[in-house]
Amino acid sequence: MKILAIDTTGQTASAALLENDVIVAEYSIHYKMTHSQTILPMIDEISHKIELDLSTVDYIACSCGPGSFTGLRIGAATAKGLALGGNIDVVAVPTLDALAYNVFDTDAIICPIMDARRQQVYTAFYQWRENELNRLTQYSALAIEEVIQQAKSYQNKVIFLGDGVVVHKELLLRENNFCFAPIHSNLQRAASVAAFAVKLIEKGKVIKGSELELIYLRKPQAEREREQKLKEAEKC
Amino acid sequence: MKIYETFSEEETKKIGFLLAEQSKAGEIYCLNGDLGVGKTIFTKGFAKGLGIKEEDVTSPTFTIVNEYEGKLPFYHFDVYRIGSLEEMEYTGYEEYFFGKGVCMIEWAEIIKELLPKEVFYITIQKDYTKSECYRKIVIEGEKA
Repeated sequence: MKILAIDTTGQTASAALLENDVIVAEYSIHYKMTHSQTILPMIDEISHKIELDLSTVDYIACSCGPGSFTGLRIGAATAKGLALGGNIDVVAVPTLDALAYNVFDTDAIICPIMDARRQQVYTAFYQWRENELNRLTQYSALAIEEVIQQAKSYQNKVIFLGDGVVVHKELLLRENNFCFAPIHSNLQRAASVAAFAVKLIEKGKVIKGSELELIYLRKPQAEREREQKLKEAEKC
Repeated sequence: MKIYETFSEEETKKIGFLLAEQSKAGEIYCLNGDLGVGKTIFTKGFAKGLGIKEEDVTSPTFTIVNEYEGKLPFYHFDVYRIGSLEEMEYTGYEEYFFGKGVCMIEWAEIIKELLPKEVFYITIQKDYTKSECYRKIVIEGEKA
């Protein structure tokens, strides 16, 4: 089974190929933000280096958000394009799940935080139980203070990771019970997306490219306004 | 902070030209000033400093962003018509702001929540007590 995984949800652009329990190739770049120009050449480079015929790929695993709006669109467009062109099935991997999956089997709470700008982070809390990574909360866009408050409510140690750590490290360091994932597992990695996709495939969570939907968390203004109108109409 | 005083369009262009010559990839310049104060003139000079023909530079008021290929890519924004931060996201601004070129943004205060911390501010003002053509150009930011 071959899985081609991509993650363009943050500043990192990452692509990986997993074949039968082995990451055959992984290529990550955390430099500028020009994913529209870099992700396809990265996949191409991988294909050349490992003599991969893209038509032999069984699944495209796409990190599907939350994250940078532009990054999400580029990732989804790339995944949908490859899926359509090669008639390949898609696995939508929630970005925070894949990020939390960077940290393995611990009693600690795992809290990925992705810098969402506007003083917010995208986050959720996780914990390993019986070899399964469990998500304890909804995916949310929260102020860092709210995240810290929530993290303090757990008895366990909390491991933070993600590019939000870089932004908010000073605040997080004030708490004794908080610690950080090591540098090599701090950011989005397509290898984690691929590995998590294996779990999702086992559960049958496989879709067509056309069915791939992104997790934005912050809804577009037009949608919010429409919902508001519908709510008001209901009241009448 | 640096303050320049100019007395003609040519001098205003020259300030833009010199600023652009030392600009680096990833830099963002926010350009403020009333209508008719010479923002476009300044930007033409800036573009020239990046090796772009100044006559190629046109207003991005209706396009939101114009792209030019110079020594560095040059992205000229006018975000006046942007109604919300979400709308700005649809432009794919992140690939411009955090990309490999230089950004010049007019009306940047409309999208200030999306700006990174390190940006330069350029303010152009008239002063009729000095002369019809007098312009005061203030450049703020780490480079100033």
